[in-house]
Amino acid sequence: MSRFRAASVQQVLPRPVHAAAVVALLLIVLVPLAYILSASLNSDLAVAAGDFWPSQFTFGNYARIWQTTDLAGGLRNSVLISGSVAVVSALVSVMTAYVLVRHKFLGRLTTLRGLVILQSVPGTLLLLPIFVLFASVSTALRVPIIGTPWAVFVTYLTFALPFSTWVMVTYLRGLPLEIEEAARIDGAGPATVLLRIVLPLSWPGIVVAAIFSFLQGWNDVLFSSVMTSPASRTAAVALSVLSSTQDTGAVPIYGQMMAASLVCAAPVVLLNLVFQRYLVNGLTAGGIK
Amino acid sequence: MTSMERRDRPLWMLIPGAILLAVVILAPLALVSYMSLTDLDQYTLRHWTLAPFIGLGNYVEALLQAPLLSSIWISVSTAALVCVISLPIGVTAALAMQNRFPARGLVRSLFLIPYVLPAFAVGAMWRTILKPDAIVNGVLGQLGLPAPLWLNGPASYWVLVAVEAWSAWPFVYLLTLAALQSITKDVHEAAAIDGALGWAKLTRVILPQIAGSVALSMVISFLHSVNNFSVPYVLFSLPAPASVQVLPLLTYAQSFQSFRFGLSAATAVASLIIVAIPLLVYLRALRLDVGERR
Amino acid sequence: MGRRRFRGLTALVLAVVAAVSACGPAQPGTRTLQVIVSVNGSYPTQQKQWFAYIAEKFKQRTGADLAFDTFSSTSDVLTRMQTSVISNQGPDVFEIGTTFTPTAFSTGAFTTLTDQDWAKVGGKQRFRPATLGLSGPAGREIAVPETSLPYVLVYNKELFARAGIDHPADSWDGLLTQAKQLTKGGVYGLDVAYGDTGDTWKLVRNMTLQLGNPLVQGKNVTLDDPRTVAAYRMLYSFRGTGVVDPATVGWNNSQALAAFAAGKAAMMLGTSGLSQNTLDNSAVAGKYAYATMPTIPPGHATLPSGGVPATSILSGNNLVVADYSINQDLAFDYIDLVTSEAEQEHLFDVFGVLPANAAATAKVTAGRADLGPILASGQGSVGTPFNGAWADVQLQLSNVTVQLIPQLARGRVTDAQITDQLQAAQKIAADAVARAR
Repeated sequence: MSRFRAASVQQVLPRPVHAAAVVALLLIVLVPLAYILSASLNSDLAVAAGDFWPSQFTFGNYARIWQTTDLAGGLRNSVLISGSVAVVSALVSVMTAYVLVRHKFLGRLTTLRGLVILQSVPGTLLLLPIFVLFASVSTALRVPIIGTPWAVFVTYLTFALPFSTWVMVTYLRGLPLEIEEAARIDGAGPATVLLRIVLPLSWPGIVVAAIFSFLQGWNDVLFSSVMTSPASRTAAVALSVLSSTQDTGAVPIYGQMMAASLVCAAPVVLLNLVFQRYLVNGLTAGGIK
Repeated sequence: MTSMERRDRPLWMLIPGAILLAVVILAPLALVSYMSLTDLDQYTLRHWTLAPFIGLGNYVEALLQAPLLSSIWISVSTAALVCVISLPIGVTAALAMQNRFPARGLVRSLFLIPYVLPAFAVGAMWRTILKPDAIVNGVLGQLGLPAPLWLNGPASYWVLVAVEAWSAWPFVYLLTLAALQSITKDVHEAAAIDGALGWAKLTRVILPQIAGSVALSMVISFLHSVNNFSVPYVLFSLPAPASVQVLPLLTYAQSFQSFRFGLSAATAVASLIIVAIPLLVYLRALRLDVGERR
Repeated sequence: MGRRRFRGLTALVLAVVAAVSACGPAQPGTRTLQVIVSVNGSYPTQQKQWFAYIAEKFKQRTGADLAFDTFSSTSDVLTRMQTSVISNQGPDVFEIGTTFTPTAFSTGAFTTLTDQDWAKVGGKQRFRPATLGLSGPAGREIAVPETSLPYVLVYNKELFARAGIDHPADSWDGLLTQAKQLTKGGVYGLDVAYGDTGDTWKLVRNMTLQLGNPLVQGKNVTLDDPRTVAAYRMLYSFRGTGVVDPATVGWNNSQALAAFAAGKAAMMLGTSGLSQNTLDNSAVAGKYAYATMPTIPPGHATLPSGGVPATSILSGNNLVVADYSINQDLAFDYIDLVTSEAEQEHLFDVFGVLPANAAATAKVTAGRADLGPILASGQGSVGTPFNGAWADVQLQLSNVTVQLIPQLARGRVTDAQITDQLQAAQKIAADAVARAR
């Protein structure tokens, strides 16, 4: 195989097209990002006036955001809640998808279709009924639900499930059956097959499902603003404080708003940087050979 | 199916997901469907169980009086356009990651940024850039091009599409990226041996393999766009210009500004049905629900 | 990552989450009053300090704890109110803007103030009469006024002096003439935030009230009245005559303020005392002053008969007590504390908000000639009808402006276009008022 350099055999786009595509995409992504960055280093009045480049760089915004609102607490809560949602959602959706793909049962197709339909239910529609539900359960069981992280945890988890399950369904369909069947012939039960064989092979799908589930909770403002108490508030709500429309008079604190947006987006990008090797190395790690 | 397989079905694995979905989504959906049949508003909110039952009255009002049908049209058409734009961009971005190049790992993560940024930051940023006297119009003016009103009037429709597409394409990219991983090196090498390179390799080897993922990403992307509230809200605020009066803004305004909860529930349920039917048809047509077993 | 590590990670995360949620409130037996107020993004540290300070005072006075929650926007507090009303649990005391007090009233979920309740908070005579306008229908009030925030115009004294004008006119026509005089040398005479949906309808409402059209009276809705058309016509004439920057079509209130603060406009309509902080740190520091907005309607030299000399919409914050609260007594204690003369003065010192307490207002405005116009605007404020449907009426009024922006951007809005929009608005508003109870 000396004719083919191992690295280049996987590529699809020819060099010049590839270069043009990457540059174009980076521009599309980074130019608006540059605006957010420059606005975060600018004075609020200048941003309100529409200036792109700061005439004077102010780094104070990055220090002020931690005072203006409980951003640190918000980030801590968000990481905990979104992280748990991502992990649990990945687990539950792998289990559900495995059964849906590998086994036949009554109502299988309906479930698959139903999961897609559930994706089309808007969150605003469910806010009041979910609140009523949690409040009723809370009063009946004499256990606080609203105001604790559990309320939003369960909500985000469930909202993430239909899509995560579908990602795993699509992904699992692409996996070869031979190894699983071999394991089953060897006497392994379905749980073992799932955990020992399927899971390690599904990392790319799991990472995608996890990112998506993580983001369910990370960026949501609506549910978090009504279901959390100041102690359990998430970063997204803290961020919305910074963008609060002031009663006519004061200029919104644009600089801090933009700085905080970057600070809130950074953890997800960082997490992705860390986990992306699972995204791309899944199959080779599993060792099909 | 052998008897061993039948006995071995781990249906218990479905239980956690089923419980969560039943309690947190299906039960509230049932509740909301009931609410849509009542005259639930600010006056009856307190004792909502006693709100007067008006049958299909809300649905009639939603379809005839509220701008429901035009909202659905605007939502569906913008969402479709967003999908059509995101598809080539997302797939190209994923394909571009196949090549080894310096800082590939970093770029792979950077591409996610538009999807990961909080929606309101995206909206606020684009709104500030597109103001009549801001940078976009400034640049257009310098180039001698017409600088129309972006955030109101007919152009606002295209602005909504562009901004949503800007933040949506990384989603397609992400799913395609994952799908590309299922194409092992062997397959690539086999294709190379067969002489399939470039375009031929793309169409005959790669695309068929990722077609399922791409089709799924289209469906989900479409649904996300249809239900996207934050971006239009921050870009245009409420009341919104008629050309971008999308469904989420309508239901939000009915529910949280006019306090017509019954009407808003009916609007949402009606649009759910109207969107779900073509969706199911799409699923059937692409045999996504059944799936191709290899 | 092996499955053991995976499971371990999950267990760890769940344990931490459980621990976080288990950390509940302090000692059992002490009662806690939950109050929700609007967050102050301009003075965040001061607000935190104020929370601690007031909680301390409250504890000394009642022995109970005080827990503050905040909301970041009107839609936020309305959502919180709805979820609280439908589930009968939530904050005990809400700080709610005057504009939405009628909505709160219409839910029937807030405590009506009896004579004893009024006595607990110092009686109605404690408050400036102007601030009581949106407490509720006579005898069935639910809200106690807390702060006052009337709308005014701000003008650049230096530019006025240069043009030889003493003071903004008291009539809209006069104001337009002055604006024309002041538009020269790259400076615009006037600044209006056409693109701000919260702003323009208030100006229109002032004018229609002055023309004698109350818009909503009882069950009668008169949106598509020629007087309303005249009001919108005046509003748009600023753009038509070129006294405003064409870019105002897309500006929100803060952008309009920024332009004034940079000295690019001689006057700005629809601002409040909260702009002081921004203006004092800008290019026009020391050169600006407030004035009440015109009270004589367009097309007239004096107030026509039937007209009301409205300077502003009645604006400020009210305090309401939730009916489901089991801490009614504590709630009134809190309200009494916060509306007492000393605390109202303190609020003014820290946040710059005008008190509702009459004695406190007299004290803080004594010797502050610059605050005179704001106070006068407060005196002349006219409250919106106390009607659950007002929110819809207001939405329709601002919707008219939004839908006419493309025409406004081109420079001219015809009466026919205004009338078309108003007729559509009239229908929706009339429906909403008909449904009101």
